[in-house]
Amino acid sequence: MIKRHSTSFALVLAGLAYFVPTVAGGAPAAYTACTTIAILAVMAYGADLILSYLGEVSLGHTVFWAAGGYAAALLSVNYGWNGWATAGGAIVVAIIFACLLGLATLRTREFVFSLVTYAAAVVAMEIAFNWSYLGGSDGIVGVPPLDLPLFGWQLGGGTNDELWLIAWLLLMVTLLFIHRFRRSRLGISALMVHMNPDLATALGVDARRVRLAVFVTSAPISALAGWLYAYQRAYVGTDMFESYFLVLMLTAIVIVGRRMILGPLVGTALIIVQQNFFSIGGDGDKIVLGAVLAAILLLWPKGLVGVWDLLASRRAQAARPTT
Amino acid sequence: MNLAQQLINGLVLGSGYALIAIGWTVLLGAARLVNFAHGQLYMLGAFVAWAIMQKLGFSYYLAVPLAVLTVGLLGVLLQVMMLPLVMQQNLTSLMIVTLGFGYVFTGGASKIFGGDPQAFVSPLTAASIRFGDVWFTWADVVTLVGTLILFAVLWLVLNRTRTGAIVRSVAEDPKLAQLFGINAALVYIGVFVFECAAVAFGAGLVAPRSPILTSMGFDEVILTFVIVVLGGIGSVGGSLLAGFGLGMFTALFGALVSPAHTTAAAFFVLLAVLVLRPGGLAAK
Repeated sequence: MIKRHSTSFALVLAGLAYFVPTVAGGAPAAYTACTTIAILAVMAYGADLILSYLGEVSLGHTVFWAAGGYAAALLSVNYGWNGWATAGGAIVVAIIFACLLGLATLRTREFVFSLVTYAAAVVAMEIAFNWSYLGGSDGIVGVPPLDLPLFGWQLGGGTNDELWLIAWLLLMVTLLFIHRFRRSRLGISALMVHMNPDLATALGVDARRVRLAVFVTSAPISALAGWLYAYQRAYVGTDMFESYFLVLMLTAIVIVGRRMILGPLVGTALIIVQQNFFSIGGDGDKIVLGAVLAAILLLWPKGLVGVWDLLASRRAQAARPTT
Repeated sequence: MNLAQQLINGLVLGSGYALIAIGWTVLLGAARLVNFAHGQLYMLGAFVAWAIMQKLGFSYYLAVPLAVLTVGLLGVLLQVMMLPLVMQQNLTSLMIVTLGFGYVFTGGASKIFGGDPQAFVSPLTAASIRFGDVWFTWADVVTLVGTLILFAVLWLVLNRTRTGAIVRSVAEDPKLAQLFGINAALVYIGVFVFECAAVAFGAGLVAPRSPILTSMGFDEVILTFVIVVLGGIGSVGGSLLAGFGLGMFTALFGALVSPAHTTAAAFFVLLAVLVLRPGGLAAK
């Protein structure tokens, strides 16, 4: 009974989410903010799979994010592929990169893993910057409006209010996927490898294999976000590798609390609302984002959910008679 | 290609790499900590020295020690903030926290110093020496000699003094060291401050080679990481050798193949080593 209720509750919530920009006034700025939040949240969910369920810090998810964007731009500009085909291309490219990087880091853990993934992102940026096939330092301009033909319907478009439907759908599919992942055999094994590696080994779980599988599973999620981002901006460039996106995804994950299904979405929304509507200049926003990331982990390592728990337990203590 | 010149370049580049990496080697070896703000601390070292020269009119020789002191003090502040996480050895959170700090430094520096490239000029780069067809500057000589002296002193301190023994005991087993009355927190702060000061010193010597930007620091982290892993994690002598090796590789790769892809090439060398020998080249 409860399960059926929570499913319908989630469906209602998902449906209501679609009307957020309308409720927010329906202005172009509202559609832009909501589309951006959905895209960047999906990007963060890719990294969330690694940080929350594997307990490792991947600093290389900007590679998958950028790979998705570059695949969309290259395939649509140079070869005229439609949206479905470029999305397929983005997924394939991300899986190939994740397999290569995952196999190279198979025997590394903790800081070595983080550093290799970080180095991979910096090096990928240098390669993109110097390789004219990928547009070099200019990037690839003139990405056409997204076209997703579906049984005679034409989905997609070039403006934010047209792309919002796609961004919302992508976000909902991602949430459903994360929800399934948490209950899947792989998700449970990942959490076990993270929380109690000895138990995992005793139960015959191959930790390396689980790590590789989760890594490869997470890459296409960030890549699809990058894919849509390319259409939203009609341009891709080496700025997609910038540490802004890396810091953004990590902050979005930790701000609310790890292993919360809506955590990265709420985190991304908080960050983008600050940057779009309460900005204090580009450099100021950098300071805010970096400081929030550091402060959350230093003060409330469990995120804002931890603060809530703390307040609740204090209230409970205060309510208790003190005789 | 002038081989003698490229070998000299490699030696000079390598000593600079080793100098920038030494703080991390010690931090990783003695405290098992990683600092992702390392590259941004390098950037801050260069910009603080530049600002002292520009705004206060001090000479280069005074500006660099003052920048080392400033970044060292910043290190005290950072490590005091991170101490609870350090004592729990919560490495995952520490990595992300230092990444956040680095991002704050990038934003803060570009707010304070502006986003334009600046010329951080050392009087030593202007003075050059020529032997036949080989050419180098006094700055190169000072970097090489300074690096060798710093490594020698560090090796002696770590291996031949009581302070070194304390640091090594904390590295080996922090809980046991504390049972023997060693203040592990103090050791962690000391090691972290050394890392910050050493990278600022490295910036003072190496950064004048090219215009400085507040967005720089990423390549420095990658090169440092390559050196630390190739040299064997925490090995002072190993990282010096790895620094020279990487310097030679960079000079020859830049001359023979392409200077634009040297960091990428160094990274692929690193990947190959990690796949073949995960403990680094020094591992038995």
